[in-house]
Amino acid sequence: MHRSFGRSFDELKRIVAFTEAFFAEERIDPSLRNIVDLCVEELFVNMVTYNLETDQDVLIELSRHGNGVQVSLTDFNVERFDPRQVAPVDVSAPLEERTPGGLGLYLVMKMADAIHYEYRDRSSKITFIADGNKPDV
Amino acid sequence: MFDIGIDESGRVAISGRLDAAQAPRAQEFLDRVADSCVIDMSHLEYISSAGLGVLLRTHKRLMAQGNGVRLINVSAHINDIFTYSGFDRLFDIEAAGIES
Repeated sequence: MHRSFGRSFDELKRIVAFTEAFFAEERIDPSLRNIVDLCVEELFVNMVTYNLETDQDVLIELSRHGNGVQVSLTDFNVERFDPRQVAPVDVSAPLEERTPGGLGLYLVMKMADAIHYEYRDRSSKITFIADGNKPDV
Repeated sequence: MFDIGIDESGRVAISGRLDAAQAPRAQEFLDRVADSCVIDMSHLEYISSAGLGVLLRTHKRLMAQGNGVRLINVSAHINDIFTYSGFDRLFDIEAAGIES
């Protein structure tokens, strides 16, 4: 299942409806919904916020992966950005050293069970799997 | 659907999905809170990093005034996100099912 979404946070409502329909159709374990929704939102918001050189829609693809889900987000006509290379957030820092922002991709790395990145012909494609097989952190 | 308001016991009650689209509305509301703040999360279904940013910004502002934010009735899933984010070290958090 795939669908394109405009570069606006207002699209999050449509994205949630899209994943909800996929989970129902494929009878995916509902306990994975929050993880999928969070990872999709964080990656989508990151693309919309930082890839300002394009006005093309973001493509989201959902497919079954065993008992879980494989999700890909593709941003077209953008520079390379591998989220796996982002420096980790120091979540043990005291309050005075913490600043809002920066947690989104960190949470994706923590919560997704696997992440793959591909950059080809100026298309940036991030794929993650949520199947509940990641060891506890 | 997201909503935020003051409940009958004077607590801030947030419900629904606190995502990047709703974070500005939550921030605008919490920016008007002047004293210590208890946020009831019993009906909060979902929070993303944008919502975490709202909580952190509010907590830092109130802590600087000698107050702070207390989070109550936090579901297991949202508590996991707080733990991953290190918020369990920064906030007074009470899990759902524990009466204060």
